[in-house]
Amino acid sequence: MSVFRTHNTNADRSAADRSRHKKKIEKAIKEGIHDIVAEESIIGQDGKKQIRIPVRGIKQYRFIYGSGNGSKGVGSAQGKDLRKGQILKEGTPQQGSGSGKGGNEKGEEYYDVEISLDELAKYLFDDLKLPDLERKSSSNIFSEMIKRKGYRHQGIRVRLSKKETLKNKIRRRSSAERNGSYDPESDESFPFHEDDLMYKHIDVKIKPITNAVIFFIMDVSGSMDKTKKFLARSFFFLLYQFIRFKYEKVELVFISHTTEGKEVSEDDFFKSASTGGTHISSGLLKELEIVKDRFPSKSWNIYSFHCSDGENWDDDNAQAFESMKKVIDLSQMSAYIQINHTNEKVFGQEMSKLFAPLESEKFKLVKIVKKEDIWPQFTKLFGGATNE
Amino acid sequence: MSDWSLEQLKEWDDKICEVARKYGLDWYSIDYEICDYYEMIGHMSYHGMPSYFNHWSFGKSFERTHFMYNAGAEGLPYELIINSDPSIAYLMRQNELFLQILIMAHCVGHSDFFKNNRCFKDTDPKNVVSRMRNAKKRIQSYVEDPNIGIDEVEKFIDNLQALSFQTNRYGIPRKSKGDIRKEEIERFNKLKDVGIKLDQKHLDGKLLRPDYDLFAFFQEYASEKFKDWQLDIFDIMHRESLYFIPQIKTKILNEGWASFWHYKILNELNLTDNFHIPFLKLHNAVVKPHIGGLNPYHIGFYIFNKIEREHGLQACFEAREIHDDVSACRIFLDEEDIRELNIFSFVRGKHGEVKVSEVADEDDWEVVKKEMLKNIGVGSIPQIFVERIEKDGTLVLKHEYDGRDLDLDHATKVVGHVKDLWKDNVRLYTILESDVWEI
Repeated sequence: MSVFRTHNTNADRSAADRSRHKKKIEKAIKEGIHDIVAEESIIGQDGKKQIRIPVRGIKQYRFIYGSGNGSKGVGSAQGKDLRKGQILKEGTPQQGSGSGKGGNEKGEEYYDVEISLDELAKYLFDDLKLPDLERKSSSNIFSEMIKRKGYRHQGIRVRLSKKETLKNKIRRRSSAERNGSYDPESDESFPFHEDDLMYKHIDVKIKPITNAVIFFIMDVSGSMDKTKKFLARSFFFLLYQFIRFKYEKVELVFISHTTEGKEVSEDDFFKSASTGGTHISSGLLKELEIVKDRFPSKSWNIYSFHCSDGENWDDDNAQAFESMKKVIDLSQMSAYIQINHTNEKVFGQEMSKLFAPLESEKFKLVKIVKKEDIWPQFTKLFGGATNE
Repeated sequence: MSDWSLEQLKEWDDKICEVARKYGLDWYSIDYEICDYYEMIGHMSYHGMPSYFNHWSFGKSFERTHFMYNAGAEGLPYELIINSDPSIAYLMRQNELFLQILIMAHCVGHSDFFKNNRCFKDTDPKNVVSRMRNAKKRIQSYVEDPNIGIDEVEKFIDNLQALSFQTNRYGIPRKSKGDIRKEEIERFNKLKDVGIKLDQKHLDGKLLRPDYDLFAFFQEYASEKFKDWQLDIFDIMHRESLYFIPQIKTKILNEGWASFWHYKILNELNLTDNFHIPFLKLHNAVVKPHIGGLNPYHIGFYIFNKIEREHGLQACFEAREIHDDVSACRIFLDEEDIRELNIFSFVRGKHGEVKVSEVADEDDWEVVKKEMLKNIGVGSIPQIFVERIEKDGTLVLKHEYDGRDLDLDHATKVVGHVKDLWKDNVRLYTILESDVWEI
């Protein structure tokens, strides 16, 4: 009477729509990221830290009823005792429990995606490139990196992950219990199924070994107030993540200076109080000294970033110019980042103007006045398309 | 891995059909597709249609179902059948034989419902499969058209999806723009002592009566704002909404009817214990109440059993023909039933807490029933209509308010989609906490 058909096509009919959906998520992540790069909470975290970022645009909107005063739900509690005013489910104070894996409750949509800083870096920096580098001497050594990369349904026996396999079985069992096809109280066992098997997946990557050192130089003179330092710090944080993303091994050197340059720890660099006058050259001279001692420019890729508010004592200008030139020469890339308040007036000659003639592929001038400038300026520095 | 062969399915199908015919069920013939769970999720994402247009939202729906299934949070539905002639239904390969038997009997009930319930009489089930296939091809051709492209098409479908089901809900034939104008002109010109004669010219760009079909409104009153391919997608999505509305309106009755019949049929098949016991277990799980909401299988099964008990089987057949969920629940569920089913209403607080607001006691059972009637069928979707077009071109929408507030976040975003379509100002009026609210 009825017709029975089996198609052994295995056609994955939603593949194309899934990939469009994935692209949308990635796009939304990228867009969301620009808003959060200057969030205080992510600055200074290490790579494994999970952060949530809001993903917009995936949610679909319809005319629906809200949970406001007029809107009630209706249920049936046949065989149960209920009282007016009874609490059926306690609320959870924190909101938005959705995650990238989809919410647990029906009707909940993905709003934010939880990703690690490493993944964030991937999204942020994928389309950015470091200026064409001359490979330094050690760069023709390649290393083979073996990295664990999640789990797969297929694999060789030795890589079977017992834990993941068991987890699958448990999931399947609880699902079967829920829909009634398996009764946990009965004696029948619930066997493993072929689909439960999970294997560890391993990825081999070949990477050239390259060394990089980043010099972060910051003016900590009296005029660098808290806001400016926060902007500087955000910018440095992005720089650090970016370079770390591109290189296997990165050394960091922090130099703070007033009229005298000093190598300091990361903590001190961002936290120390600001006092005193300014000699821009002092930080640069300190860098040159450290390079000579510890990071011969033959085998190190050197990046130098200098942050200040553009003020300098007049008697130092000539020397600042000369030492900046030297720094530019031995660096792969360097930049001078000037941070000001909106409409701030800079006394004396503005450093960004002084350094303007030096601007080239290898040396960039960046100006930041507010949080929102950070990302566009950053992408400008590395030739990425802004907001694509 | 399955414990059955195709031959066995055919044998059981014959037995099921024989019992069903004996009782006078009258269904479309059914084509069963055997598939694995992955394909099942695929078909589910496209409403069970063998062929359906592409859009990222279906990919999202797939990911969601797949995730939920893997996480064990939800089982897959056992049955998926579409309203077409012949009906198309899916059977998962890993289901055990008793489950396939239950599903096939259940599907006969659904197919009979599709064929006989009055809400479905305009759904054109003979042609729906080919219509969907053609729609998919046309949309694909717009995607491939270098002058249009996937981004434009997706964006347009996004806009229209936001208006899903904001169309003619009650199956009353729609009056065209021309007919309404003619009627209004006649009515006006019959009035005495006005001094002027009204003709078509005076009415250009005016909406004479509120329009409850947003899709048809755009197609009729704003066709010049759209390109041909856009009007075509309008038509596709409009028909899609109209095709699915009857299923929304009859969820309880449809599932109730199918459950009523799988139960009757399987009890007549003389199943051996190793089939009969798992069948009963599963049946009970399917028709048991869900405390968090109304389980359509539960309520529907209850209703048809009650009708059979009190008025006989013939009355069940009549009910499946003339009723939708709202009318059936209104008529067949009295105080005793509301109490027996222990229907209650609840409110959700800001942090997700759920609090019982009324229970089916002497004082409140009518309140609870009223709430229930509001929440079932198309009542679960707010109705928005076009009220007027202002002189400056602003489109004025209104929410048909029935005591329930709109979700403003969603409403604001949907109005954005409407602006995108109307290409001019759009305003929406609703009521929020007893005050008029404008978006």
